[in-house]
Amino acid sequence: MGDNKLLALDNIDLSINEGDFVSIMGSSGSGKSTLMNIIGCLDVPSSGEYHFRDNNVSTLNSNKLAELRNKDIGFVFQNFNLLPRLNAQENVVLPLLYSGKNLKVRNQLAIEALESVGLKDRVHHRPNQLSGGQQQRVSIARAIAGSPKLILADEPTGALDSKTGLEIMKILNDLNAKGITIVLVTHEDDIANYGSRIIKMKDGKILEDKKNVNN
Amino acid sequence: MSITDLIYLSQKSLRSNILRSILTSLGIIIGVSSVITMISIGSGARIEVEQQIERFGSNNLIVRSQSSSNRGVSMGANSVNTLTLKDMEALKEELPAIKAIAPRVSLSTQIVANGNNWLATVTGTTNDYFDLGNWKFQNGRSFEEEELNSGSRVAIIGKTVQKNLFDTDSPIDEVIRINKVPFTVIGLLDAKGGTAWADLDDTVIVPLKTAKQRLVAKKFPGDQIRSMTINVRSSDLLFKTEKDVDTVMRKLHKISANGNPDFVIRNYAQFLNARQESSRVMSILLATVAGISLIVGGIGIMNIMLVTVTERTKEIGVCMSVGAKKRDILLQFLIESLMISLIGGLIGIALGLGVIFGVSEYFKWKMSLDYMSIVLSFVFSSSIGIIFGFYPARKAANLNPIDALRYE
Repeated sequence: MGDNKLLALDNIDLSINEGDFVSIMGSSGSGKSTLMNIIGCLDVPSSGEYHFRDNNVSTLNSNKLAELRNKDIGFVFQNFNLLPRLNAQENVVLPLLYSGKNLKVRNQLAIEALESVGLKDRVHHRPNQLSGGQQQRVSIARAIAGSPKLILADEPTGALDSKTGLEIMKILNDLNAKGITIVLVTHEDDIANYGSRIIKMKDGKILEDKKNVNN
Repeated sequence: MSITDLIYLSQKSLRSNILRSILTSLGIIIGVSSVITMISIGSGARIEVEQQIERFGSNNLIVRSQSSSNRGVSMGANSVNTLTLKDMEALKEELPAIKAIAPRVSLSTQIVANGNNWLATVTGTTNDYFDLGNWKFQNGRSFEEEELNSGSRVAIIGKTVQKNLFDTDSPIDEVIRINKVPFTVIGLLDAKGGTAWADLDDTVIVPLKTAKQRLVAKKFPGDQIRSMTINVRSSDLLFKTEKDVDTVMRKLHKISANGNPDFVIRNYAQFLNARQESSRVMSILLATVAGISLIVGGIGIMNIMLVTVTERTKEIGVCMSVGAKKRDILLQFLIESLMISLIGGLIGIALGLGVIFGVSEYFKWKMSLDYMSIVLSFVFSSSIGIIFGFYPARKAANLNPIDALRYE
């Protein structure tokens, strides 16, 4: 407190190219969550600049940030963050509601997205009627329904057993193969290994940034 | 995001908490039903007063004989007839505010006609009686000057008497026997309907002179009469004239200002005022209940919406992360509170209608349903939903997406 400002991120210089699959690793407090929030346009840096495609995000107001998240970014969370009262299809429709797509189009897109993650027969199930892996697949469907350029996955396998976790990673891998940029936050080495580039962070700084030779 | 989508999302979350939503709207329910009841009691009273004026005429004072009480013991209203036609003439002369006076003698007796008989009140009076009492003729005519002066045996009958004595709707020129004296029917009065205490249509009216000569000669000897109806020129003069009549009558009857009078003045406006006053008091009471419960209801909505916003903080974060703008979140919570208050409004309207029909059936109290009150209730409840829902909705909209997502 007082004059000692705590910097969550310090002197970060990072660029991610379209189509990259980047894994960000680091212990808690390393600043990886803050970095993710900035990349995901949930937050703006207190100083410095962040450019996302053609936008200087640092200068955008909350409405513009919301629009950007809605159109170009999809989030996949550790504990899925599905709305419990809505069924799978309605959850996937949510971002399309905010972008103002009409009823027919958004239902079509939602069903396609659910199909692509293998949940064609679960569209009317509520989250509490689905397994963890299925819920995470719904949340991936929600992330991709609006055809985003970037998917941010924050510990997507953290709440799943290893077999289901691998299934989820395979889906993300396939999405990357279709050209969607993936930024993955994890602290597990074998999960991070799916990335083509691994960034290690500590105390708000980038410790290591290298191509993943194992991939 | 369209309004239908917002409504769809809102009803989803309200339905997941039906009981809570209804309990929350309890204040609105009570408030709205009070508003509706209040308004219909008010307009019911107004209509009733208008009807009473229609029936009994407006701006009338009624002066009746009353035996002066002897050492605090009343001798009964009918025992002595202290009013006379001389009093009537004197009042007319002394008080220019008086437009007309109709004298009255009366008896209750058997009427026979057409092989039927019927007990009715027979009134002896003049033509002023019809004007002052707002009587209208369904058939026939009022008395002619000559009939009044000569004491002709002609009668005008009320609807109830006609129904009980005759099969026909036009009994003109038929003969009825009042106390065995034959009278010719010359007129039939329009029905006025009953009051709580008397059937106004159960009446036979004959010329004053005829009644005094042939029917009530013993009961009202000389120029004695039972009562008189005084019509005052305007309603502003009514209460002043009531005092003036009292003064003049005391002078005529030689009664001191603080002595017991041998007459009583009924001011019908007084009764109407009392009726209006009691419904006004009732309305104020209900308005207070309505006001308090609407405010309490509004605060209840605000309270539950604040709880809802806190409960759904994480959800709000999720919505924001997938692209909900502040405005979207604000609108969604506003619509939710609006829906709670409108549900309360609907239930309140239903309850209010139930109370209105129940009360008017059970107490025979005139209540009139004003459709404006239903519109007003919708306006009330929706504005309360919006006003009291705004603060929680704004609180939700202003959440920081990161904090909201992290909230457990």
